[in-house]
Amino acid sequence: MIKIQHIYKSYRKVDALKGLSLQIPQGSIYGLIGPNGAGKTTLIRILAALLTPTRGEVWFDGEEVVRQPALIQRKVGYMPDFFGVYPDLTAVEYLEFYAGIHGIPRKKQASTVNDLLELVDLSSRRDANVETLSRGMKQRLCLARALVHDPEILLLDEPASGLDPRARVELRELMRTLQGMGKTIIISSHILLELAEMCTDIAIIQGGQLVVSGDVEHVTRRIGGGRQIEIRVLERVPETTALLKEIEGINNVTSENGDLLQAEFTGDDRALHSVLARLITEGIPVVSFAPRSSGGRLEEVFMSITEGSSPS
Amino acid sequence: MTFVALLTKELRLRLRRERTIWVLISYLLVMTLLGFLFISRNNPSNGYTVSTLGYGLYTLLVFVQLSLIMFITPAFTTTSINGEKERQTFDLLLCSRLSAFELVAGKLVAGLANAFLLIAASIPLFSLVFFFGGVGPAQVLQTTLVFIVTAIVVGTFGLFCSTLLKRPPVSTAIAYMFCIMWVITPWLLSFLLQLNVPFNNNAQATLIFIGNPILAMISTFTLGPGSPLGSYSFYGTSLAPWITFIIINLLLTIVLLLLSVWLVKPNPIGRLSRLMEKRRPKDKVVATT
Repeated sequence: MIKIQHIYKSYRKVDALKGLSLQIPQGSIYGLIGPNGAGKTTLIRILAALLTPTRGEVWFDGEEVVRQPALIQRKVGYMPDFFGVYPDLTAVEYLEFYAGIHGIPRKKQASTVNDLLELVDLSSRRDANVETLSRGMKQRLCLARALVHDPEILLLDEPASGLDPRARVELRELMRTLQGMGKTIIISSHILLELAEMCTDIAIIQGGQLVVSGDVEHVTRRIGGGRQIEIRVLERVPETTALLKEIEGINNVTSENGDLLQAEFTGDDRALHSVLARLITEGIPVVSFAPRSSGGRLEEVFMSITEGSSPS
Repeated sequence: MTFVALLTKELRLRLRRERTIWVLISYLLVMTLLGFLFISRNNPSNGYTVSTLGYGLYTLLVFVQLSLIMFITPAFTTTSINGEKERQTFDLLLCSRLSAFELVAGKLVAGLANAFLLIAASIPLFSLVFFFGGVGPAQVLQTTLVFIVTAIVVGTFGLFCSTLLKRPPVSTAIAYMFCIMWVITPWLLSFLLQLNVPFNNNAQATLIFIGNPILAMISTFTLGPGSPLGSYSFYGTSLAPWITFIIINLLLTIVLLLLSVWLVKPNPIGRLSRLMEKRRPKDKVVATT
């Protein structure tokens, strides 16, 4: 468990973080969402011991770590939002160098590097010059670098930025694999769909302050007032609309293209199942019944929260 | 362990650059060409004996090599730290187990290794002098020591600039300015203050030239009785200028190295004020009854 308590960080006259507090569960994939200048990178750099907060505390498993950079360096793997590679080294040499400066004994370095290259699916490019790797490959290599000392916590600053869709999918799969290995992963991004699909928990940050945090569904429901459902029917659109309006937890029923109905729904999955059961019982010819992905909803929530904030 | 990893990486990167081999080739070509021109113009028909020819060639090579060391060595270290920042790899080094000292020392040793490679590569050229005669092994040893210390000072100053200044072009320019000032300032001062050079029995001149590489190098030559170069006297011990040069400049190197170690980690001023606060004696609490 990572506990961040009342963290403040000021750069001369600018307050980047204003008393931010968070609790990040162990083994979670935790997304930090916010517009540019919200304080995401500052928070990640504090967690990586690259910045010291002006005030506040950070606890890793019950131990206060702000003044213990050595402890942080042992527990944390950091991947910044830029590649930071040495172009004249091969992938193997690159990882061996970082294994060396993280104190991995020379005898263990070869096996560690081989395992990491296999994990990030770069074994076939082990002797390729880093400069010749594609952006997605470089990103995976940087992720392998962050994992070189087998950290418990991974800090990924905008990992999906600039990646093509295939590379993003691969990165997402990799995140899940790492979560399965018991790592706690903290990701900052403003690509909300990516985060919603990838993260178990999120925190929305704006102006250096926490707006809301929790698991993705919880945050969407709490701020957006519920989730959106889309229902397509063969016929009897007016009857379906009237029926939906009667059901508790359903609001704002609208129809698009005649046969497609949209409604806002507040309730859990069991209640959602009851809605579908009621429609079937009433003989409504339902073709499709789909709660919209929370990512899309989350994007709306994010846009409404951050409305008026200008990117820095 | 972490130091070795950094040094290995630095040497790999440096030796793989095409520039390294071209610098080495150009360096040796300049030395060879000047040596060849000297021998071809000053032969026994011009009144030169073989030993004076050897001595003259040696003098020429020594000062050319000294100039080249001062000209080339800064290039090996002036972008060591701020270059990492510009390449955006510096944060990744800070997140590792590398200590500030290991980081600075690794960068310095790697940079100096390049300079020492140039010195080592010139040994065959210098050995040609022994063929002619006129120069003793002790003198060669003294000269080599002055070369090495010059490379160390210039390299360390370059590294210091690299930790202090953000932009590589600025740190490079400042380091070269230091090299020029280091060499010419004593001569300029002695001219402006109208000091009587040569230096024997001139306390002011002696002090001004104490760390100057040119004077140190001149002092390694056997100038015979009545040499204008005096020696420095510390508590009754007489030291030749090249020895005081080595002592003074190694002390300067240690100071620059310590400053670089302090500056290389983030927020040096904040860390200094925190250190001062810790050291400040706490106000005595007066118990009231």
